[in-house]
Amino acid sequence: MKAAILTDVTRCIGCRKCVEACTKTYGLKPYVPSDKTAADGLSAERWTSIVERPGAHYVRKQCRHCVEPACVSACLVAAMQKTPEGPVVYDNKVCIGCRYCMMACPYGIPRYQWDTAVPYVRKCILCYERVRDGKLPACVEACPEKATIFGDRDDLLAEAKARLAASPGKYVNRVYGDHEEFGGTSVLYLSPVPLDFLAIGGKLKDDALPELTWRALGKVPGVALGVAGLMLGTNFVIGRRMKVADEERQRREAPAGEQEATGSDE
Amino acid sequence: MSKRAAVKNILWALSIIGLVAAIVRFRNGLGATTGLNDATPWGLWIGFDVMAGVALAAGGFVIAGAVHIFHLEKYHSVARPAVLTAFLGYGAVIVGLLFDLGLPWHIYFPMIRWQHHSALFEVAWCVMLYFSVLAMEFIPVALEHPFFAHPFFQAIGGLLRRLMLPLVIAAITLSTLHQSSLGSLFLLMPERLYPLWYSPLLPVLFFLSAVGVGLAMVTVESLTSGALYDHRPDTDMLAGLGKAGAVVLWLYAALRLGDLAVRGSLATAFKGNWQSGLFMLELLILAVIPAALLSSKRLRSNPWGVGTAAVLVVCGVILNRLSTSIFVQTRPEGLSYVPTWIEFAVSMGIVSAAALVFMFCVEHFKVMEGGPQLDAKAADPYAKPAFDPQTHVSVDPHLPRFDTGRALGMIGAAAIAVAALWPSALHGYRVPRTPVFHARGGKVLNIDGNRAKQSVAFDHRDHMKRLGGDESCKQCHHLSKPRDENTSCSECHADMYLPSSIFDHDFHLKKLGDAASCDKCHRPTRDRSTAKACSEKQCHPAYAPGPKQQAFNDMARSYVDAMHDLCVTCHDKEAARVDKPRLGECATCHKPQKGMRQPGS
Repeated sequence: MKAAILTDVTRCIGCRKCVEACTKTYGLKPYVPSDKTAADGLSAERWTSIVERPGAHYVRKQCRHCVEPACVSACLVAAMQKTPEGPVVYDNKVCIGCRYCMMACPYGIPRYQWDTAVPYVRKCILCYERVRDGKLPACVEACPEKATIFGDRDDLLAEAKARLAASPGKYVNRVYGDHEEFGGTSVLYLSPVPLDFLAIGGKLKDDALPELTWRALGKVPGVALGVAGLMLGTNFVIGRRMKVADEERQRREAPAGEQEATGSDE
Repeated sequence: MSKRAAVKNILWALSIIGLVAAIVRFRNGLGATTGLNDATPWGLWIGFDVMAGVALAAGGFVIAGAVHIFHLEKYHSVARPAVLTAFLGYGAVIVGLLFDLGLPWHIYFPMIRWQHHSALFEVAWCVMLYFSVLAMEFIPVALEHPFFAHPFFQAIGGLLRRLMLPLVIAAITLSTLHQSSLGSLFLLMPERLYPLWYSPLLPVLFFLSAVGVGLAMVTVESLTSGALYDHRPDTDMLAGLGKAGAVVLWLYAALRLGDLAVRGSLATAFKGNWQSGLFMLELLILAVIPAALLSSKRLRSNPWGVGTAAVLVVCGVILNRLSTSIFVQTRPEGLSYVPTWIEFAVSMGIVSAAALVFMFCVEHFKVMEGGPQLDAKAADPYAKPAFDPQTHVSVDPHLPRFDTGRALGMIGAAAIAVAALWPSALHGYRVPRTPVFHARGGKVLNIDGNRAKQSVAFDHRDHMKRLGGDESCKQCHHLSKPRDENTSCSECHADMYLPSSIFDHDFHLKKLGDAASCDKCHRPTRDRSTAKACSEKQCHPAYAPGPKQQAFNDMARSYVDAMHDLCVTCHDKEAARVDKPRLGECATCHKPQKGMRQPGS
């Protein structure tokens, strides 16, 4: 079972009980906006937030637990890991603090603990331990309107498509988080307003981002062997030519010396 | 004072300022000392120290390849300086990285945890291996010093010299890989990076510009060392470097523009916004102008011509790396990045320290051919020391002397650096204060503490009626200032998110008799803390009239907490009583209103 959640924006009343449940479950500190955090409500101490859109629509913002996460491919020590159950989790014991995951995420989700001397990256982990124990994520359990529901990704995609078909004009005609969004995410949305604003730059692309890096990185062994071989070959050829030229010169000078000619050369 | 001494004074001053900055950075963390934030995780230390630093150190592999692979003996004189520059440059990169990493004591983790789909993993390994190769290339030079006369060291030196060809091939291979992989880092950011910089060809472009700036840095280093050590520059050799540079830079410009044209993005370069301006500037300084200068045989045979072109390329590459990693990254509105002086100080300090080490090596080892060799002992280990015949004091001009002027200058620089530290840097990250503005209105109050246009419409008259008219004031206005009727909330709860003190210290000091009155509140013993004073002296008991009996001595909670605590407790009780569960929910009070700006939009 691939854990996923589906949020129906039309059912969300902005009560923020999901935010409260998340902060209580993980002991997060009170939210204080500062010059280190963006205005979307997420920070090292806020792993989910409500973004209000024009027309009184409330959109949850948090880690999308992508099917092919950019942060996982970016992390050079595998501190960001895609678990087999679906959630993308973070191992603070092996993180080196390079913040490449923060640069890589197309939604700008991972946030940093700027205020401490031993800072970690923090983000929603889809309540991984609870999910593994068969419980619901805290936000899903807390939602009074069942706007956010939990289940297997394929089941939720089917449910979402069913809702789209049942009410044609109610939503934007797509399931946000299907394969057309950065290769697919585990956090799905049905929304009456476009959710492109959730991505940095406001554009939802369909490339799975790790593939873009691999196109270059996959060529590394070939390039390494090629360059080394080319250098070796060049050195050999030029060295050989120089040696031949030296021998030529010596042969031209040597007979004059051996025969002790009375020539005027040196 | 000689040119050299003056330069060294400046470098030492910059290094000591960098040291002060370094101590503060490690003690108080990144948030307190840098301008980095969630929208800009990579700043000056990555953009300049790591990315530009690696590019500027590329001269090592280019010259090593020219001399040892292509057997171009013309460049033999710059081979050792180029390797030294590269070795110190990569050392500077690694030191710079120790500052930027959030957990620098984990820097060796990529050696034991492998995630080979990450371009950064590839960069880390190649830089590590290449740094070792550079060390092995330079160690034989250091071992030539008489200090290492022992056969053991000579054997090591000999072995490393015999390994020169495999080391150079490894150097070129590793450099090709990591110079290009630094560009590959940005391949997975197609939307974050402005189209004029994003390209599938980023690895190739980074590699080519690295080769170009490597040649330029060798030129700059050669001309600078020549000026400092009174050495005539080899104009023929520099012209050769310039010619190669011209070819590389024209190729770079052609590839960059051609790639944009092929992908249909060339029109973006003429949009007239600051990004297109920056792109033009970058291309001109990095490639077009230097390549044009170096294409002229006359100009590149002139030290000024070749020097100008080289400096332009160096500036252009630094600009390119900074643009790619910082300037043209999309970030949410409202969060900008301004590096603090500590970031500049650390970067300048690292570069200065590296320059000082470079000068030390040049003066004590045979790095420059016919070089300064100011180390007289190395020049002639068997020379007898010289003494002044009158005073019998040694007159060896190259004995290190304690330079009082330099020492005082360094202390002064350190003092200025400490004085320039701001509160966050000194004490750890301080959240900026958000002052509260009072509620506005009459019957219906518009409560919008931080004037963010996200207000709560509070029907004051209705609540007064509900809760019992004039007698009910003290239920909410639970504390009044002396001789006041109803103190408004924001007078005491003066910060949106942080607790604030409501004790007017200056007023009390004046009223009770200035400095002589300290003992009236603060205990006359060792513990004169505010906490002790407040808990022991309960003044003004009459000024806590309401059900929420709180002494004036406490801190007032944040405005947000105060509002929520007061209102939500009651609302929740009412919600249960009249069975209207919505009453206690956020959206009931925080209703979006017409004309109000929406957050997150």
